[in-house]
This record gives sequence, C-alpha cells and structure tokens, in this order.
Amino acid sequence: MSFETLRALIQGWAGAGLLPAGLTHGFLVNALLSGLVIGPVLGGLGTLVVTKRLAFFSEAVGHAALTGVAIGILVGEPYTGPYASLFGYCLLFALLVNYTRNRSNLTSDTLIGVFLSVSLALGASLLLILASRVNIHILENVLFGSVLTVDDRDLTVLLVVALGVTALMLPLFNRLLLASFNPALARVRGVPVKGLDYLFIVLVTVVTVASVKIIGAILVGALLVIPAAAARVVATSLRGFFLLSVAFASVAAVAGILLPVQLALPVPSGGAIILAAGLLFLGALLARFVTRGEEG
Amino acid sequence: MSARSGNGPGILFDRVDLTLGRTAILERVSLSVAPGAVHAVVGPNGGGKSSLIRALLGQAPHRGTIRLDWPGDGPGTVAYVPQAVEFDRGLPLTVEDFLAVLCQRRPAFLGPDRRLGYGEALARVGMAGKGRRRFGALSGGERQRVLLAQALIPAPDLIILDEPMTALDEAGVAIFESLLAGLTAAGTTILWVEHDLAQVRRLATRVSGLNRRVLFDGPPADMLSPEQVLDLFSAVPRRKAEAEASRPAARRMAS
Repeated sequence: MSFETLRALIQGWAGAGLLPAGLTHGFLVNALLSGLVIGPVLGGLGTLVVTKRLAFFSEAVGHAALTGVAIGILVGEPYTGPYASLFGYCLLFALLVNYTRNRSNLTSDTLIGVFLSVSLALGASLLLILASRVNIHILENVLFGSVLTVDDRDLTVLLVVALGVTALMLPLFNRLLLASFNPALARVRGVPVKGLDYLFIVLVTVVTVASVKIIGAILVGALLVIPAAAARVVATSLRGFFLLSVAFASVAAVAGILLPVQLALPVPSGGAIILAAGLLFLGALLARFVTRGEEG
Repeated sequence: MSARSGNGPGILFDRVDLTLGRTAILERVSLSVAPGAVHAVVGPNGGGKSSLIRALLGQAPHRGTIRLDWPGDGPGTVAYVPQAVEFDRGLPLTVEDFLAVLCQRRPAFLGPDRRLGYGEALARVGMAGKGRRRFGALSGGERQRVLLAQALIPAPDLIILDEPMTALDEAGVAIFESLLAGLTAAGTTILWVEHDLAQVRRLATRVSGLNRRVLFDGPPADMLSPEQVLDLFSAVPRRKAEAEASRPAARRMAS
C-alpha cells in the first residue's frame, strides 16, 4: 500500500467522523504516520539509552543535527530535507565522540560537553553566514519540528530507518545490554563488545536524524530519554520497562502531533511531543510516589 | 541440567608477561592447570591475579603463550564469574531478566526462555523461588549467587572464578562448596582466584601463589605453609630479599 492510498484511507475515515477531523488534512496524516512509525522505535531504543547511561549522548547527537542542516544548506542540499549532510555529519560526530571516549581519560559527560559545544558553535556560525541565503525562520522547523513539512520522502526515510533499527535492535537487545553490565563477562559470552558499542551509537544516531523533521533538532534526544525514564520509574521488570517505554513514546508522539491541531494551539510538534512525554513522566513519578511511597 | 563429563580443558601459561604502561603486572608467569582440576590462584592485591584471568580471557595484551588444550574435537563451554557487575541498582530488572540477558538470544523483555533451566540453576545456588525479585534489591551475597548461577547455563567445561566468595555468607559458602563438588564430579576445569586461604586449602586440588611472578605452585597442603604465605604477601618476598641481601657477601667471597 502506497502512502497516497493510506493517506486517502485515513482522510476518508476522518471525513466520516471515525477519526479526529484534523486528519482530513494530508499533512497531518503524514505527521501522524511518522509519529506512529518512529515513536515505538524511539521508545524501545530509549530503554537501552537509559540503561547504558547515554542520555546526554543522545541529546548531543540531536543537537548536532543543527550543524548538519547548516552544512547541508551550505553544500546546496534542499533546506527541507538535507539528509546526506544530516546523516553524514551526525554519524561523524557520534563516531568521533565514541572513539575519543574510548581513548581519553575524560569522563563521558565532560567529553560530550566539549564536542556538543564545539558542534553547536560551528552550527550557529554557519547558520549566521547562511542567513542571507535562506529565510532563517524556516530553520525554526529544523530546531523545533513541524507537522507541515513532512512529505513522502521523509516518511520513506523514517520507515526505512525504523525497520532497519528494529531489525538490528531486537535480536541484539540482550547483547547490547550485557555489554554495559560487565564487558569481560559479555566477551566470554561471545559478545563483540566494542563492535556493538559502535553499532549502538550508529542506531541512536540514525533514529535521531530521521526524527529531526517531526520532533526538531533541539528536542529529538528527549523522546529517546523521557519515555524510557518514565517507564523505568514505574516498571518492575524488563518486560514492563520496554513495553511501557514503547507505549509512552508512541502516545507522546501521537498526542503531540494531534492535540495542537485539534485544540488550535500555536505549538510546534516537537515541543508538543516532548511536553506530552513530560506529562507522562510526571504521571509516572506520581504513580510511584502513591504506590510505593518516597523510598519505593 | 546435564553436565558434560570429563570435558574440562588443560590450561598452559608459558612465560606470560603483561605490562600496563611502564608497570610490569605479570612477569614470566608459567603455570599448568590440569584438566578437571580445582586450581586456585592466591596472592596479594595488585599481585596480578585478575590480570592473569583477563589475559586468559583474551582481554589483556600480553607476551608469552596461553593455551587451552580441549579434549575431543572442539572447544567446550567457558563460563566466567566476575567479582561484580556494574549496573543501575534501580533498573527494573528481575533475577530471571538478568539471567535471560546473559543466557538467551530471544530479547529478555519477551520473558525468560524456561527451557534453559534458570529455575534449576537458581535452585543450585540456593536462590529457588527468587527469580522474580529485583536484581538490584538483592544483597551482595545473593547477587554473587546469581552470578554463580549464570555460569551454570549452559553447563560449563571450564569455569573461571574471580573471588566468588567475597560477599558470600555462611550459607552461601556451603552452597559454593557443594557447587564446586558438583562441577568437579562433572570433570569441569576450575580456575579460581581467591583470597581466603583456608577455603583454598580445603577445596582446591592445586594452588599457585602469584605476586607478579609465580612464587609457588603445588598441592595446597604443601604450599600454604606459614612461611610461603608470608613470602607471598610480603611487599618484597622474603626469600628474594634474602637472596639479594646475600649477593654482596657472595660476591665478596668469590673475589
């Protein structure tokens, strides 16, 4: 089924009153589809990000997307989807951080802080240079996400990335987790610790980059972290942790896309998605306080 | 859980050197671990015991030869019990989840694969019925027992133990002893780094004293004499110090 057919189907259901009226607009259907595709993947991958203590790293990769966009415009890519530069720069950034992390005596947060600052400085400088070339306000979409700009190409990128990441993440889930518990034990169990370390970095990066269009460079890392953090607060087993994180991320993505349109709120989709995730996190914390007390 | 019988390998360490930066951690370490033996390695902190294990596991660059001689056609199962695992204590991870992460391919969040015998392994370490407890909420001794349980899945032919008794209470020590007896009966080779010399004397079939180099190697009853132990745990082994002190005198006599 092509996106066109699926879109027409959903629009038809919305027209018949089976779905929210806003979904009669094709752009909103695109945004909803991208949220439904990427939400569960971000939620699932987020459990590993939180367990491996890579929350700051995933935020940094998201922020690096800003520089990737600037480079893309500089080299002549369309500002609506400079994917070659986005993927290229963010992958380079992520791999360089990981490579240096394994070889310096700095703690991860210090090192990521240095790389993040330099990358943002580079991105900001390039964007100011490019200010005369493009309407700089269009970049707000890149920073905070927009439901208006998701087209079939973006959906295809999201779908390919989501399927690829899921196909790698699920069979390697245990091994990725084990490598963070005890590398020596993992190696004895046949886990190629260093290789998986890099693979995980790549997975986080491509998911982040593919989600930039809908969530925005500033906030994309948050959807990897907040739903998983909320799930970690209330779950009592790995199954609950994973499934709740997937559910929270999906609900936040769908709510953040639909609610601003339904309620006519002038809020960017990225902001709304992360606010929805934040509310879920708050709810999870409250649920924990109520059910288990302060020490829970 | 079926244990394979008599498949434990022999291990040969031949003139193994390991240097970190400019510090020699192991110097010309030569040891032979017999198939099916309970071979203990004792020595002071910083004496190179854990480094020897890392070298054996292929995780520390070293010079010299480390060879595993497996009986039969191919290598068997190697299990490792580390001193501890690093993880977020608040992680929603049950004991069964932890075993599933280690032992199965199917994603652990889909639930434990019961065919792998997690319950039986936990029962063997006295943790029966505790599979659903949160791993981070266990006591140090209980976590150590779970680390022992993971080493039983699948049944090992070689088991490498890095100070497994550190956090064990009295009951845990008894369970460890019975586990060791079961593994020995199954022909498993056991390489055991330990600091508790009394336990080594009781349970090991052979002991090597390691303080950067091998200071003694033989049956525990013969090797763990007060004099040998004093030598091993001295900053400068006494006999080496005596030998060095006697050198000028020897030179004077020679001249």
